[in-house]
Amino acid sequence: MTHEQIHPLIKRVLENIEKVMIGKRNVAELSVIALLAEGHVLLEDVPGVGKTMMVRALAKSVGASFRRIQFTPDLLPSDVTGVSIYNPKEMEFQFRPGPIMGNIILADEINRTSPKTQSALLEGMEESSVTIDGVTHHLGKPFFVMATQNPIEYEGTYPLPEAQLDRFLLKMKMGYPEMADEMEVLNRVQKKNPIEELEPVIDLEELRELQMKCKDVHVDETIKRYIVELSNRTRTHGSVYLGVSPRGSIALMKAAQAYAFIYGRDYVLPDDIQYLAPAVFAHRIILKSEARFEGIGAEEVVERVMNRVPVPVQRLVK
Amino acid sequence: MISRKAQKDFITFFLYLFVHIMLWEWLRPLEQLTDTSNIGVFLLFILLSFLLAFMGTSLLVSIGIKMAYIVWMLHFLYFEESIFQLSWISQFVHDVIENIQILFARDWSSLSNIFRSLLFFILLWLMTYLIQYWLIKRRQILLFFLLTLIYITVLDTFTPYDAGLAIVRTVISGFTVLGMLTFYRLLEKEVIQIKTIPIKKWMYPLLIMIAMSVGFGLASPKAEPIWPDPVPYIKSYGKDSGTSDGKGLQKIGYGLDDSNLGGPFIGDNTVIFNAEANSRHYWKVETKDVYTGKGWVTSSSRDEREPFGYEELVPIQSYNNDAKVEIKEEVSTVFSMGNDAHIVYPLGIKQIIAAPFYTFEKETATEKIHSIEGNIPVSIEQYSLVFDKPSYSVTALNEASSVENVAADRELIDHYTMLPDDLPSRIRDLAIEITEDKDSWFEKTREIEGYFRKSGFSYDQLDVAVPGPDDDYVDQFLFDTKRGYCDNFSTSMVILARSIGIPARWVKGYTEGEYKGLGDTGSRMFEVTNNNAHSWVEVYFPGVGWVPFEPTQGFSNSVQFNFDTYLAEDRQPEAIEQEEIEREKPELADKNENKTVSAFSFEKLFDRLKDLLTDHWKWIVSIILVIAFLVFLIYHFRGRWLPFYLAWRFKWTRKDENLPKAYLLLLRELGRYGLHRKEGQTLRDYADYVDRFFSSSEMGRLTTCYEQLIYRGELKAGSWEETKELWENLIKKTIA
Repeated sequence: MTHEQIHPLIKRVLENIEKVMIGKRNVAELSVIALLAEGHVLLEDVPGVGKTMMVRALAKSVGASFRRIQFTPDLLPSDVTGVSIYNPKEMEFQFRPGPIMGNIILADEINRTSPKTQSALLEGMEESSVTIDGVTHHLGKPFFVMATQNPIEYEGTYPLPEAQLDRFLLKMKMGYPEMADEMEVLNRVQKKNPIEELEPVIDLEELRELQMKCKDVHVDETIKRYIVELSNRTRTHGSVYLGVSPRGSIALMKAAQAYAFIYGRDYVLPDDIQYLAPAVFAHRIILKSEARFEGIGAEEVVERVMNRVPVPVQRLVK
Repeated sequence: MISRKAQKDFITFFLYLFVHIMLWEWLRPLEQLTDTSNIGVFLLFILLSFLLAFMGTSLLVSIGIKMAYIVWMLHFLYFEESIFQLSWISQFVHDVIENIQILFARDWSSLSNIFRSLLFFILLWLMTYLIQYWLIKRRQILLFFLLTLIYITVLDTFTPYDAGLAIVRTVISGFTVLGMLTFYRLLEKEVIQIKTIPIKKWMYPLLIMIAMSVGFGLASPKAEPIWPDPVPYIKSYGKDSGTSDGKGLQKIGYGLDDSNLGGPFIGDNTVIFNAEANSRHYWKVETKDVYTGKGWVTSSSRDEREPFGYEELVPIQSYNNDAKVEIKEEVSTVFSMGNDAHIVYPLGIKQIIAAPFYTFEKETATEKIHSIEGNIPVSIEQYSLVFDKPSYSVTALNEASSVENVAADRELIDHYTMLPDDLPSRIRDLAIEITEDKDSWFEKTREIEGYFRKSGFSYDQLDVAVPGPDDDYVDQFLFDTKRGYCDNFSTSMVILARSIGIPARWVKGYTEGEYKGLGDTGSRMFEVTNNNAHSWVEVYFPGVGWVPFEPTQGFSNSVQFNFDTYLAEDRQPEAIEQEEIEREKPELADKNENKTVSAFSFEKLFDRLKDLLTDHWKWIVSIILVIAFLVFLIYHFRGRWLPFYLAWRFKWTRKDENLPKAYLLLLRELGRYGLHRKEGQTLRDYADYVDRFFSSSEMGRLTTCYEQLIYRGELKAGSWEETKELWENLIKKTIA
């Protein structure tokens, strides 16, 4: 896809992120896609590969306010959403907004906290608003959550229920950097952390505009049908216990719109769908235990489904 | 197409030489089979053409030389005076102009010889150019080789031309050329200079292989042909047909010797005569009266003849002059095409009108009429026949077999109820069984006639038995084989009738033939071929005369029975069946009968179809196989022609709607070429794959355009114009 031009504003953002995150272009790209599609991202990886750095770089590049919530088992929902405190001087309760009231939020180790707290965040993600003491507080616009999850620790964790997982537009892995890239990282951080010097390249207003424009990207009937066929096929696949929900289909379409937009196209291609389907679908699929024993992963299932569903090469005849 | 300079190397010389030999094979049979002479002149022309091509003579010079040669040779062949007198040129030009007019008038037979020769030269010129193109540009000769082989084998099979050696020469030269060209093609594919590699390494094994295979082919024993040689049957023209030796295949047609009937027949389309007639009727030639158990002979000598002149009445009394037969005078004219020195005549013949110098002789025994000029039997080219067309009253026929009538004609009846002594008795039993419900001869005869239409008999010309020494011809047909043609049916009917005392005789001649349309005078034209040779039955009814019957399946009687009062009394399905003949005069039959008639004729059509299938199934199957094979070939080699066709088809289109059609066809063709797109592969991915394969970017560019159309739902105007070239280039790459 080299012959397509990346949208100039997005290009600036991506280049900005790359100053900090070396060799993680695809992760940065997916994050931007989620941001543009007004979705949220679940990052699953071991600590120390740069998840936080990624989010901070993104937040800084778009000039958004960045908040971080470190989830712990004793974290309370009010620690996330905010709390009303009595102000003796004013003689009334005053609302002190919690970390969720930012634009870009890093929800670190989301599976470490109790389901109660988790759901406070997830509700906010879904509704774009939180209700505290009967008052509805609208969240920032844009509102973008990047949750991280440590896949190796199971002790004392509260794995996200499937219904909650469904609310993330994408799930991705960071992965370790390449050797050369890692050396470059060392070079860059030797004197000082480059994140400190990062300047915003677009403002929030521009970001909102981009988000609006993404919705105008044409998704043809043929493509919609292709998306639906893909998700349908996951539901009937032999290794799958629970397939992709219609929410998953919507997510795939929105992500594809954003992806097409990034590459300066005003229509979605099957290629976009195929590129994004593993990231959008994999965490929404629950495999049968036999499949898990056989070592088949959800990504593999999505790949297989894609190989089986014919790509539309003709216009639909109505 | 890579342009090549004329190569003057050794191998190219041999290529031309061998191809010349193959082209020579096309000319060789001409001398023998057509009136073409001086083949050498044409052969020299081919040689000259190839030589010029080999030398790489420039186009203009070569055209000049060839034209000069053609003119020189035409002069040499057709003009007397010196070539330098020039007066012949105007004659020649005049001839050419005249012949071009004839050409446009499509009057092929009037073309002059000189013009034919000129055309032939031009044809050869085209041929040599085409071969040169195949040889040097395309490096392919298989098609020409195959055509040559087919040409030779067809000629060998169907003409007197003996291609025994020709096939050997063709095989040698054809395979040599094929082998050399394969070598060239390989070289060009791998881009190897011919000088850098040892040619001998290829050529010696090639020559050894060809020599060995030809040697084996010549030395090995050849199997006898599986199919009978069709040539003798095509070659012969009726005069020697029909004679049966009781064994092997015979050709259908009219013959003299009927003493050993049976055995298969094959068709023969030789036209015997054309006829102009007002109504359809059978043509009689002769009758036979004595059945031997194997076939028919005559009771008295055939030399016993009764002469009569051209204006005299024919001494054959067809009807006993009673009012019992309704007659209508008609005239039919015969245009003879064969050499038969006898007259074919309809039932009821009264007079033969021919040139006055002809006289006629009637064989008493057979009622055969010979045509004589002076003392020599001759074939008369054209003669008219005045005859009374009968319409028999069924009432009269039913009354004919009354005791008094029979007694009056006792002698004749005894003669025509003769049977061989050793005739199996079950024939008579069968005849009695068939006719047990019926009283009159007429009804009985009709029962026997109708018996063959049911009871499991089938018409067949090929799978027909020959009676063994102890077999009776009729007995074998009636009880064993139940398959046969007219001779089986008619003979059997005569014998069945005779066995219960009804006088009957066997008649030979032709059916009415094939209807060819209306003639000038409004009468109908018929063409009678050897295929129409036929035999049927005449039964004698005292007081009425000889009445024809038609027992053979698929044929219908050509005389009318007038069912006056008879039908009303006793309506029988078999009787109505006979009415089919009366289609020509529907006013005679009432509505109800018409209905029955059409139902019956439908059945008959089905029967004929069935007969056709059973008679010719081998041909039909082989034709279907050949067609299937051709279709398979066309489909199998579609890679050779389909891309050209598609490129041509879309070349002149401008509308953008053609893009999706063209693109999908391209996908299909690429798939056929071997670049398969997986089901789940996106177009862009596939385009990358295709472009990598062809080292181009055409597919990607075309695909981007197509993507816009199908995934964006709209297309820039003029996109097809822009991308057509890309598409064309791609589709041409799929040529196998």
